[in-house]
Amino acid sequence: MPTPTLTQSIVITLIQCLLVVIFVFVVVPLTVFAERKVLGHLQQRLGSTRVASGHVGITGWMNRGMWKWGRIPVLSYWRGIPGLVADVLKLILKEDILPAKADKFVFFIAPALSMVAAVVVFAAVSFVPGVFFTFPAWFPFVGGLPVSGGIADINVGLLWILGVASVGVYGIVLAGWASNSKYPLLGGLRSAAQMVSYEVPLAMSLLAPVVLSASLNFGEMSARMATGLPFWGLVPQILGFLIYLTCGFAETNRLPFDMPEAENELVAGFHTEYSGMKFGFFYLAEYINMTVVAALASGFFLGGPWLLPFGLQGLVNPYIPAALSWFAEPHAIFFVVKIIFILFTYIWVRGTIPRYRYDQVMSVAWKYLIPMALFNLLLAAVVRCFAV
Amino acid sequence: MEHLIETIGRNMFAIFGVMALCGAAFMVASRSAVHSVLGFLFAMLCIAGCFLSLEAEFLGMAQILVYAGGIVVLFLFVVMLVEMSKKTEKEVFQLQSRYAVLVVLAGAAVFVGVFRKVIFGAASPDALVLRPELAKGLNVAQQNAQAVSRGLFADYLLPFEILSVILLVALVGAVVLAKTERV
Repeated sequence: MPTPTLTQSIVITLIQCLLVVIFVFVVVPLTVFAERKVLGHLQQRLGSTRVASGHVGITGWMNRGMWKWGRIPVLSYWRGIPGLVADVLKLILKEDILPAKADKFVFFIAPALSMVAAVVVFAAVSFVPGVFFTFPAWFPFVGGLPVSGGIADINVGLLWILGVASVGVYGIVLAGWASNSKYPLLGGLRSAAQMVSYEVPLAMSLLAPVVLSASLNFGEMSARMATGLPFWGLVPQILGFLIYLTCGFAETNRLPFDMPEAENELVAGFHTEYSGMKFGFFYLAEYINMTVVAALASGFFLGGPWLLPFGLQGLVNPYIPAALSWFAEPHAIFFVVKIIFILFTYIWVRGTIPRYRYDQVMSVAWKYLIPMALFNLLLAAVVRCFAV
Repeated sequence: MEHLIETIGRNMFAIFGVMALCGAAFMVASRSAVHSVLGFLFAMLCIAGCFLSLEAEFLGMAQILVYAGGIVVLFLFVVMLVEMSKKTEKEVFQLQSRYAVLVVLAGAAVFVGVFRKVIFGAASPDALVLRPELAKGLNVAQQNAQAVSRGLFADYLLPFEILSVILLVALVGAVVLAKTERV
């Protein structure tokens, strides 16, 4: 296998970045659509159906046929997808309003900060161990070169993820401040307090995988968590997963912890004064952050690119027959499916659990989640000490 | 092209250093306190870049996590809560400026005095000097998180614990102050 020159490796990295951005920009609109649909069905309605191409062409014919055949609205679930295009067009074409006494520079930079902090986290995420694919020989400039399954194989990947994610809070706080308006400021301050306090149990729940796998590298951690743990490693993993997921909901400001927005208290929270694509950036950043949390949860707790979650893969692997060895190996598709499952869980929880009061949100973090995360860390250390 | 990229890569430390200085200058010069915090944030991120260009990944990431993600957020919080009007802000800054120059000069003198060996002496060939029995089986250049942890929890355990006691004292002091004010 040829070794790439410096320029070639930079080009490969750029291509990887492009692939990740494409992945994100495919997943995010589909999540938005799924949110409308799943929430709709959780509330006994159909979700968005109005902007549809379901009346014409072959899909319209199939839709009508299915409906006539047995009142089955299967294909009509996909009606409303053109609404996504309409949404994006609306965001781009809408007038970009700057409030009269807003701080122009900070008002401009806040959505960019949120967005950048959300996307850059993916640098340390490894989608599949080793080589993802090899460029075919006819490919210009980088033909025949391998592309690894993650952009940057940093040996302190977890710290990179936590650090960059913690920079994302600036976007919200600065947006609230720069708008020069009461509701956004309240939303921004609330969210600063909320995100800073939930960062603590989040980081602590991720310490359990660090202790169990003795590494800070994303790829190594997910490999050891999936395949290299004894039976007792299950307990801290499952408990840690629940704590992590709760904190992840709070970090991404999703229901039941959507204090920064809380539309019946704060109009729309920190992005009240934003319109057009600046609001679009916050909207995108929220969904990208959800994808990031889902990627981390699936990488550290749900076995990453391996099939089975919580380290079961390592326990089951010796009993998998050779004919089914495809299921014993890591594949990027498993990773993506787990991300999609957790995104679905986000929507599911949103449709199920009502919003907490602000003081309840804070007491959940400090009184319950942090002690639980510490206990989980202790469990992980005990497992590491006696069972590994 | 190859040559250009290599040159940039070799001078990454200088690039990030100049950027950090620019951020610091913006922090000092800007009129609005929130803009100052933004300049501080930029400087902190660039210092993390400096650490990264020296292959100290752990320190660089800790810099981002602790300073950019924690301490500067607190600064921003305080600045936003203690919102001063533009005029008082200006007066306070003008009052402070001549003392600030003195303090900076004194600080620079102390810094050079403490680190004169590092600045003017010969460059040290080792990235991190651990006791040989601690460094056994460890590639310091590649695993600097492990190397730092071995240094902290074996070689310098006592100073490290004493430092944490000092932090605890500060915490207790904060709690006491907050309590007495409320009564």
